[in-house]
Amino acid sequence: MTDKTFDLSRRAFLDRALLATAGSVMAGATPWVALAAGAQTAGAGRVRLGVIGTGDRGRALIQNIAKTRNCTVAAICDSYAPNLGKARQWVPAGTPEFADHRAMLDARGLDAVVIATPLDMHARHTLDAFDAGLHVWCEKAMARTIADCGAMVTASQERGKILQIGHQRMFHPTYLNALRRVKAGEIGTITQIRASWHRNNSWRRKVPADSTDRRINWRLYRESSAGLMTELATHQLQVGNWFLDAVPTRVMGSGSICYWKDGREVYDHVALIYEYAGGRKLIYTSLLNNARYGCEEQIQGSKGTIEPELGRIYQEVPPRALALERMQADVQRGHKRTIPIGGATWFPELPVTTPGESLGWGEYDETMLQFEGFGEAVRTGKPLPGLLRQAYQASVASLLGEQAMDGGQALAWPTSLVTI
Amino acid sequence: MRDAAPVREASGIERFLAMGTRVELHRFGPGDADALARARRAIEAVDDALTIHRPSPATALNEVLRNGGTARINDPLLLDALLRIAAGRAMTDGLFDPAAQVGRADAGWQALHIDARAATVASDRPVALDFGGFGKGYALDRAAAALRDAGVTCALLSAGESSISVVGEHPLGGAWSFAIPDPRSADRTLAEVDLVDEALSVSSTLGAGALAPGRAATVRPMDGVAIRAPRTAVAVDRRGAVAEMLSTALIIADDRQARCLQANGRRMIFELAHDACDGMVTE
Repeated sequence: MTDKTFDLSRRAFLDRALLATAGSVMAGATPWVALAAGAQTAGAGRVRLGVIGTGDRGRALIQNIAKTRNCTVAAICDSYAPNLGKARQWVPAGTPEFADHRAMLDARGLDAVVIATPLDMHARHTLDAFDAGLHVWCEKAMARTIADCGAMVTASQERGKILQIGHQRMFHPTYLNALRRVKAGEIGTITQIRASWHRNNSWRRKVPADSTDRRINWRLYRESSAGLMTELATHQLQVGNWFLDAVPTRVMGSGSICYWKDGREVYDHVALIYEYAGGRKLIYTSLLNNARYGCEEQIQGSKGTIEPELGRIYQEVPPRALALERMQADVQRGHKRTIPIGGATWFPELPVTTPGESLGWGEYDETMLQFEGFGEAVRTGKPLPGLLRQAYQASVASLLGEQAMDGGQALAWPTSLVTI
Repeated sequence: MRDAAPVREASGIERFLAMGTRVELHRFGPGDADALARARRAIEAVDDALTIHRPSPATALNEVLRNGGTARINDPLLLDALLRIAAGRAMTDGLFDPAAQVGRADAGWQALHIDARAATVASDRPVALDFGGFGKGYALDRAAAALRDAGVTCALLSAGESSISVVGEHPLGGAWSFAIPDPRSADRTLAEVDLVDEALSVSSTLGAGALAPGRAATVRPMDGVAIRAPRTAVAVDRRGAVAEMLSTALIIADDRQARCLQANGRRMIFELAHDACDGMVTE
């Protein structure tokens, strides 16, 4: 892709995001979008990022950052040397490399860090970065415990530093457009969201000779992860809170190691119900031995359903056409009369998901936009409004769900959370 | 109203969602057993070819036109539709124009160059096509043809009840008679229209459809001005696609243009500025 075509791709993406969030209702519901889309191109004054954790996810982030107009990767860090080696190809020659994040922080020369390490390290790396005077962009989920999530928020507030969590759906035009149509009343009152993330693989990675299972497969062990809840569900719980415009009142659920009995400690099957005020619900399932229903959020209202991952909106089947039905009955009994048709009718059609609007890898996408937004936040010293609250509440919801399953009890939403 | 001998011959109904609306196919009397299924497939084929709401030949064409390029049309339905639209645009003196210029309010069909023999469409500047004001009538035409091919001589086809097509006479004889509702009140009727082997299209700037969230106002192609005057238009033609384009054009037309459009057929405009009873009916 040439710079010119990339610029066109970027411009088209930004236009779609801005179009979806135009108007006072959407601007109020998604204030971060316009600020991110309006990020200034920094030229030589790009925000300098140090990436902590250059595994698969970290390297994907590095590639995204490289395409932004206001950020640059100025250092990389990983305690596992092969990960650093793989990341080297994606950063300019001579980019400083570190095996220890403290050494990277001590070396200075950074404006912010990007954290893509195992979940249980997020809080420590975040707090250390704040101590070094840096801003933080951290992968979701926020931390391994609800207390650590709160500590990260508190530290951000006390130090006056940006803390942004990687929930890219909040920058995705399809999700933004879906929210716009919800706000416009197209699917009526949302009473339920049915979300799932179903895969059919063990989620287990091959362990190299120079590493350990717990290091490579940290997602499978409780000391470092809540498994499906923090690594997958947190995305969809954020979407649920966002579209229901609330946090749950309580959660109940059941989890089990049902299929992959390979020594893992985290559930490979989870099923939860998150209750919201007014009797609304988010029903969540995730499992690792059946991919039929994949990843989706079915946002269900009285007039229709939105499935944002598929980019589809479905209207409830229109009322039966009584006039034509009556015509049939008339004909059967030999009675002819004028047929009162419905006239000019229109049912909202499916949203546009043309191939040209599907901006895939190699072009500008929502991950790049969220980094440009982060770069703008760092430049101005002002966080993109609304983002951290969404992320915090999503992480709390995922961890509360884990607790509810572990204890076999319905748990109320915590009352002691940090106020954002 | 009249009574006649009840119809005892084969009849059937096919109901489904297509083109973003509810489609109903009612057949009466003789014809192949799979006639309705063939008609449904004809409608779904048009939907598949012309939709811009999921990947389709139309979206592939738009991808090219959006960049001001030349596209080869491999889908015969899409090519046929483009040629019919070109004729319809000429017939309506440019009032029906499904081409939107990217970044501009006015329409853009004049930017297109269609080579029917080479099956190509070229564009001078970025445009995108929306077949919404054409597709339902066109699909009903194809479905009616499928029914006739299957030996059906009596049928009613409806796409959202704003697009109606009939095959032959009413099962009890004579014309099919339809009441056009007043969009401001379901209890009121604007007109009654009789059809035999014809199609009917209703367009309106009022009513639940026009007020649906996300629905854009009908735009006058010449200057991009949104038409907000309360108006309902009805067009009857042998071909549903033509009726569809005409009803859209009538919504946009000024007085002179409306007179021209109404010169050769049953076309009605209802100005609904005040109470339904005060509506000015032009026929």
